[in-house]
Amino acid sequence: MATQSAAHPHWARAPFYFNSAAHLLRISREKAGNLEELLEAIRTCSDTCIFQHTFQTLEEHHFIREGFSNDFSHWAFSSCNEVELAERLAAIDVREFTSIADLRERLVDILEDYLKKNSRAASRPAMEPFYMMAAELVVVPTPYVARNLEEFADGLRKVSIHGIYYHFIDARLRIKLNNNDFSVWLEKELDMGAAADRLNRIDIYTSTLEGVRRNILRTIESEIARG
Amino acid sequence: MTEKEQKKISAATREGKQQDGAASGDDKGVVAEPGAPPGGRERRLRQTTLPPHFVERRKRPRIQTQQPPPPAPPRMEDYAAIIGLPELDEIRFLARHLQHKTVKMVNSTAVGGGVAEILNRLVPLMNELEVPTKWEVITGGNDFYEVTKGFHNALHGGEYNLTEQIQDIFNSYNEQNRQRMEFAEDLFVIHDPQPVGLVRSKADTRGRWIWRCHIDLSNPHPGVWGFLKPMVEQYDATIFSSPAFTRQLSVPQYLFYPSIDPLSEKNKELEESYVDKVCDDFGIDRSRPILTQISRFDRLKDPVGVIAAYKLVKKYVDCQLVLAGGGATDDPEGAVVLQEVMEAAGDDPDVIILNLPPWSALEINALQRASTIIIQKSLKEGFGLTVTEGLWKEKPVVAGAVGGIPNQIIHKLTGVLVHSVEGCAYQVRYLLTHPEFANQLGKNGREHAKENFLITVNLKRWLLLFQILLGMARPSKPG
Repeated sequence: MATQSAAHPHWARAPFYFNSAAHLLRISREKAGNLEELLEAIRTCSDTCIFQHTFQTLEEHHFIREGFSNDFSHWAFSSCNEVELAERLAAIDVREFTSIADLRERLVDILEDYLKKNSRAASRPAMEPFYMMAAELVVVPTPYVARNLEEFADGLRKVSIHGIYYHFIDARLRIKLNNNDFSVWLEKELDMGAAADRLNRIDIYTSTLEGVRRNILRTIESEIARG
Repeated sequence: MTEKEQKKISAATREGKQQDGAASGDDKGVVAEPGAPPGGRERRLRQTTLPPHFVERRKRPRIQTQQPPPPAPPRMEDYAAIIGLPELDEIRFLARHLQHKTVKMVNSTAVGGGVAEILNRLVPLMNELEVPTKWEVITGGNDFYEVTKGFHNALHGGEYNLTEQIQDIFNSYNEQNRQRMEFAEDLFVIHDPQPVGLVRSKADTRGRWIWRCHIDLSNPHPGVWGFLKPMVEQYDATIFSSPAFTRQLSVPQYLFYPSIDPLSEKNKELEESYVDKVCDDFGIDRSRPILTQISRFDRLKDPVGVIAAYKLVKKYVDCQLVLAGGGATDDPEGAVVLQEVMEAAGDDPDVIILNLPPWSALEINALQRASTIIIQKSLKEGFGLTVTEGLWKEKPVVAGAVGGIPNQIIHKLTGVLVHSVEGCAYQVRYLLTHPEFANQLGKNGREHAKENFLITVNLKRWLLLFQILLGMARPSKPG
């Protein structure tokens, strides 16, 4: 099927293979009892820890529509009562990052800046410690393959929510682009740049992952209806 | 109504017991006779406008006196309706790679206790997925179990005198079991400290060794931990129930949250008519808000604090409090705590105290489902599976921020965390008067439980860990 002509607007040049991802949490050595320790932990922890507390946590809390962005922000708010810091950390949009190193740098910048202006907050004990966790992510193939838009819509309906996360959010770090697997496939294999663009603008922070799935499907179904 | 009149009604209803018994005799032989009142004597309740049958049931709840036969265990396909077919397919896919890889699970007891309960569910599911899994139990004399009980308390921070003789007893029983058992499998999962010494066989086996610690090691007795640690560090991986329960170790530590089975008697969906029947048996009025704490009568669960919080709520909202649990019959301390609870409740007819037998899973399920709010105001807690049960049933949960509870309750997103009686009362009042917010917490809580705390999620974690340890799966590195 990979050789299907793209002359028909709905046949892809290459199929889309839906994958999913399963992850295990490893307890890391780093632990923070205050903001100063959090800053040090963020500087020194592994990339898999930064990934867990920013990208992966979005999947774990995919059902929350509002009020949750990343674990650092949540801890700054609920355990340290530092509302301004929590706001600034919550405003980090993981979609802007295609490397963990850049994301770590942003986190460090925000914390350093905040602690420079609020030095007493640095060593104030938090109500609960922050435990650094590392995500070990393993890709799980699924039986769903799409060679055209109809099959793509079908796969989107059937794949687990972890599959949506894997292709739509986790993808950025893999493909090193401010994009997602679905949009890349639509644009590259079906010449559907406009639809790809619409998909990439779906807001993952104001919608649940099920909501993201519905939004993607709406876009694809309207493309199918247009013929 | 005077107390005399209430007594009359009680007596009349007791005389009518035969009829009730006959009626419930239709329930396939399950006897539902009026149980002994909590604490062994009837509570004196002040006058109330409640209908007489509620008053009678509150004094003498109908508690099932016979253990029902266990239901058939669920099969993998039964979970599809709960987690969805794609999720089930992913579990099957992970298992397919492990087919013919053999697993041995070892713990210290075949019945009773949380670990046996977990293995009773997990092992059949592993085998159904064609990952051959054996469950073996170590044996020991009374002296061994006295030592391991002492270790258990010491690992939770208690005082302990670790003598050489105690170490010898522990080592010799571990050695006896090690000699008795065969270690031919690909994976060995050793649960808790009792059989931790079996790892001495590691050098003679080709398998990978995992130590699953179900207890909180955050504040262990240094001597006991110092004795066990060298054994723990011989394992290839360790697993803990919360990051807060761990110690620094030289071997990888994984996080496996404890889990509930959504198809067990305690958690399966129930007919509304059954929930009604259970409420009727216990004199619970479903037309008014019901606050419920399910836990054994133990000071660390703070049942007296829950009553104090209820009294603060009751000033503003007409509600009932149900305190249901066990442990007061076979545990002398439990009986004392139950007495304290009865005294704190006084003659308030809207405080319903139920001392339930261990086979009351269905009744507890019904009580949780009938509840408006689930409370778990523990002062110290393990993981807090009653919180998980409440979340799964889509109930707003108000719980103490201790032990593993903060792993389950993200404050104001999947439930509410509290630190005091007053805080508990305030949050309960807020939820009772803001039902939309309470409903949203319940919905989020259920999703949180579905994502993290179901047995199917745990099964997936085991399969993934086995693959990683056997080198069959390599975790991807994030950019």
